[in-house]
Amino acid sequence: MKSIDNGIAIFRDISVHLTGFTSMELTGTGMLETYYHVMVNKNNLGVVEDFLAAAAKILAENSKDPAKLRSAILNNLMPDGLYSGLAQNIITMWYLGSWVNEIISPQSYVQGMIWSVANAHPPGAKQPGFASWNVAPPQL
Amino acid sequence: MTQNKTYDVVIVGSGISGAVIAKTLTQAGKRVLLLEAGLTAGMNLDRNGNYLNYVDYLNTFYQAEIKVPNSPYPNIKDAPSINVIDMQPITATNSPSTTGYLVQAGPLPFASDCLRGPGGTTLHWLGSTPRMLPNDFKMKSLYGVGVDWPISYEDLMPYYEMAEFEIGVSGNVDQIKWPEASTEKQQVALKNKYYGKNYVFPMQEIPTSYLDSIFTGLVKEINNNDPVKFNGKKATIGFSTTPQGRNSVPNPQYPYRDILWNPKKKKLEFQTKKRWNIQLNGVVDIPEDEKYEYLPVGSTWDPNTGLRCEGNASCVPICPVQAKYNALKTLFKADRTKTTIKTQSVASKVLYDEKTKEITGIEYKTYNTANSLTYETHVAKGKIYVLAASAIENAKILLASGIANSSDQVGRNLMDHLCLLTWGLLPEKGYPYRGPGSTTNMSSFRDGPFRKEHAAWICPIDNWGWAWPVFSPGSDLAVALSKNIFGQELRALLADSIPRQLLLHYECEQAPEPGNRVTIDPNYRDAIGNYRPVIHYDASDYMKKAFKAAKDLNNQIFKDAGIQDYTVYSPTIAQDYVGYEGQGYNFWGAGHIVGTHRMGSSKKDSVVNADCRTWDHDNLYLVGCGNMPTLGTSNPTLTTTALTFKAAEAILKQLEK
Repeated sequence: MKSIDNGIAIFRDISVHLTGFTSMELTGTGMLETYYHVMVNKNNLGVVEDFLAAAAKILAENSKDPAKLRSAILNNLMPDGLYSGLAQNIITMWYLGSWVNEIISPQSYVQGMIWSVANAHPPGAKQPGFASWNVAPPQL
Repeated sequence: MTQNKTYDVVIVGSGISGAVIAKTLTQAGKRVLLLEAGLTAGMNLDRNGNYLNYVDYLNTFYQAEIKVPNSPYPNIKDAPSINVIDMQPITATNSPSTTGYLVQAGPLPFASDCLRGPGGTTLHWLGSTPRMLPNDFKMKSLYGVGVDWPISYEDLMPYYEMAEFEIGVSGNVDQIKWPEASTEKQQVALKNKYYGKNYVFPMQEIPTSYLDSIFTGLVKEINNNDPVKFNGKKATIGFSTTPQGRNSVPNPQYPYRDILWNPKKKKLEFQTKKRWNIQLNGVVDIPEDEKYEYLPVGSTWDPNTGLRCEGNASCVPICPVQAKYNALKTLFKADRTKTTIKTQSVASKVLYDEKTKEITGIEYKTYNTANSLTYETHVAKGKIYVLAASAIENAKILLASGIANSSDQVGRNLMDHLCLLTWGLLPEKGYPYRGPGSTTNMSSFRDGPFRKEHAAWICPIDNWGWAWPVFSPGSDLAVALSKNIFGQELRALLADSIPRQLLLHYECEQAPEPGNRVTIDPNYRDAIGNYRPVIHYDASDYMKKAFKAAKDLNNQIFKDAGIQDYTVYSPTIAQDYVGYEGQGYNFWGAGHIVGTHRMGSSKKDSVVNADCRTWDHDNLYLVGCGNMPTLGTSNPTLTTTALTFKAAEAILKQLEK
């Protein structure tokens, strides 16, 4: 259990830097554990372990310097050719609720982060109420 | 196997046309059999079962990778639906294209779909309900294009009011601008003439979007400073708010409480002192002291759900709360003691007496489970028969039966609105992806002498960003990721750009062309042996000229308003693509499938008369969008529903002769 918890923690922490959302915003979707398991199950386990190990190292080594952290992620995690494109797929999963092109579950669609970024809501869910569209949305 | 029971009327299809016929006739005491091709689950009269089935639709929609109009609903092999995902270019090696239900013979693929299932296409319709313009009924005599209708706008006015009652239209008559009015005085005069001085819609206008206010504000400045040129002349761009079939605030001035058959006068009449009571299955008097209020119709599973639009921004393909009208609301008002509904019953053929031409039955096939390859054949018997199976299915059934076609017009004149989409980034945030699909439309180019040269259009302001042409916002994320943008930078980029997305679509009125048609071919059949529709389709120069005129207009608006143009047309986009005068254009289907069994004033060149009765068979009526001789620039459901009330009245008259 300890290793799973550790993996989830690394997944959460690197997700913060990949997506631009706070840890609270991500865990607030209720999807953290589901998404972690989707990542594990949809990939070669060795690739996932390597990715998490690299992510943990980058997070630890650059914790005090945001510019260096950003650069390390850009060069060592983001390139599409590394870790089977895992970093980009994780970003897509948080933003759209899908793994590559497949929506994980009805709930993951509803919890897609892209809608709140757009000051909107997922179409067909989290409806903001009659006439809400008549005025500019509240700024978060 | 022939049914023992003979009904007054047999109806094929439970969409809005079939439902209006069933409700109106049973409330007038007639016994109706309704055949529905789709699954029994969608017709659940038990509230709990009805709700659970609808939640299934909703979850299917949530999980659909591509959220096209039919994505929430079952597509079964025994009664397949058209799906826009199946559309592909027709090439030398791909002719006809048979990927989907339609057999697309080309030269262009037909780009619209409809839904075969309980409630029909009203389950996924947008809900916009503008009336046609008076001139739309006289295209031949005014502009030399297509044909005239056998009836005028004025003839249809009382039935438009019935359709607006039944659907529950929210709108503001004063905010519907007439293209021919150049002064406020003319505007009021036309409103009084064509809606009636005191007319109001059942419910008040659906609030317009914030995006509407941003875009119309930009256009107002263009109108004031340096008006656009349209076909070489200066033009002022005007906007109307869009009447819609979704629940809003009841209008205290609206006087009507129901529509009922008056057997003495032999007509359908609006009621102010009586109404149909669903629980009692009968007409009740309204107490004198009861305070009048128009009652919005809520969801089919709970009358208290969906009494107002809640801003789900997913009218197409599914309104989660059913604040948007759908045909099941009408069907569930039918007198249940007089209505027999048979689901999973696919009409295949209309039977007739060769000597008298009288229709003698409808052959239909029943299947036990979805995608079953086995079926049983039955015959339904009635005094009068009504096909309400959609424009394409109605034509297909008629062709399969070899009937109603002495004019050779069955299946011909297939039409749609050809939508030229344009998209760009506004100079400031309009916050799309909120509210109903569209709440305001550019209405100045719906009519004018230019219709002699090219098609007219209505141009809705779309409230849902670039979702339609490029599958935003998912595609915006994909573009950013392809540039390795991530983290705070990614979030900021999307937060700045997605709220500035603007989409317009110029819905160009397709003219009737005999070669645009539905046919059948014994080589193409579905899983239970019924014909698949074979579609021949093209866009004429009359349409292409409209694309050019619309794009020229749009270019001026975008430039003058400071809207960054992102519109791209290309043969590689999986939509229709045509070239005209050195420019390429993509057009998208509007889902407005009309014209396949048009009405007319002569049996020589039309399939039905002004009452929607076939010229060739006295006891066969066709209802639905197939009746429309021309399309106009309005979404067709309201007009079709008005015609259906007219047909219901004619059927009752015929039964009580």
